[in-house]
Amino acid sequence: MSSTEQPYIDPSEIALEESTVQRFKSPNDAFWTGIRDAAGAPAMVLFAGMVGFGAMGKTNGFDVWFTTFTSFFMFALPGQVVLLEMAITGSSVIAIALAVTLTSTRFITMTVTLFPQFHQKDRNRSLYASVHLLAMTAWAISMREFHAIETRHRLAYFVGLGLLCWLISIPGTILGFYLAGLVPPAVTLGLVFINPLFFLLTFTEVKPWINRIALMLGCIFGPIFFLVDRDTSLLTSGLVAGTLAYFIDRQFLRKKAGVIG
Amino acid sequence: MMNTMSSALSGWGLWIALAGACLGTYFCRAIGVLLSNSINQDSEIFRWLAAVTYAMVAALTIRLIVMPLGLMATVPLWIRILICALALGVMVSKSSKRLVPALLTGTLLMVGYGVIR
Repeated sequence: MSSTEQPYIDPSEIALEESTVQRFKSPNDAFWTGIRDAAGAPAMVLFAGMVGFGAMGKTNGFDVWFTTFTSFFMFALPGQVVLLEMAITGSSVIAIALAVTLTSTRFITMTVTLFPQFHQKDRNRSLYASVHLLAMTAWAISMREFHAIETRHRLAYFVGLGLLCWLISIPGTILGFYLAGLVPPAVTLGLVFINPLFFLLTFTEVKPWINRIALMLGCIFGPIFFLVDRDTSLLTSGLVAGTLAYFIDRQFLRKKAGVIG
Repeated sequence: MMNTMSSALSGWGLWIALAGACLGTYFCRAIGVLLSNSINQDSEIFRWLAAVTYAMVAALTIRLIVMPLGLMATVPLWIRILICALALGVMVSKSSKRLVPALLTGTLLMVGYGVIR
């Protein structure tokens, strides 16, 4: 994933830019370039993640429909894994919905940073459909490329990018699901390991200290709350560790402590 | 694995949970579109939300690695931690563009362990 230059979840550090460069002849051109830009290392990592998710679904006893619908309608790997894990441990529907929604709040920040960069004429109700294509991969590439794309072609580029990422995630999930039943257990083991490892690796790219502290505290509180009450542990450890990190940052780390915008 | 499944959500409860998860996820995307005209990305609420999200993903990740359910639980803890450490080593060995090699290292080591055990 091209997140090497991008923070993983928090886009607040990136400045919005304007572009004057003439790069595409038509929206069609921009759309197909978006598709081409997605097809590479970023899409491969996403595909691997979806294969891993399919394998997780299979090895934990879910059916192929449930597993695939999750990729199709959620299209957000951390949230999908949260859903699987909490369903396995028998958490309540309310706790699952809340925890998944909280992991998805990163989409609010992603949208707020990306969508103002579209041309004014594109900023209408159709964005409520295109926004489903927004995920980490498409967001990171768009944030990197948009400054070099004229505003009126940015939406077409983004849709091409997001559409490919979304569409490959479906066969990826199905492939992972059936592979996990066919291949030797050793390979299944590798597939199931992809997502936890991927999340862990992306943590090393997190730059702001508030988020690094949140990660460290999450690693400490996660297992503790899991032992106390596994049903709500993700929710409670996220809220407690995240809030604690926020206050540590606010009290001790900010250069202008006490000046809150 | 059967033990974990017996306590799992099943039938309609599972699909209702999926529906709730999908609605919650779409809600966050939609609210982003709604707010994208008016809100400052540096505001306090976003800083807090980002911290909560990171903490939650960290709690999830550490649990998947340290206290996994199902197949992964058959791998000894020290093997899981060793493989993670080696993959992280590959990841930080150079300052950029190491995600794919690091992911491959970890995954192949896990497959390798599965083959030789």
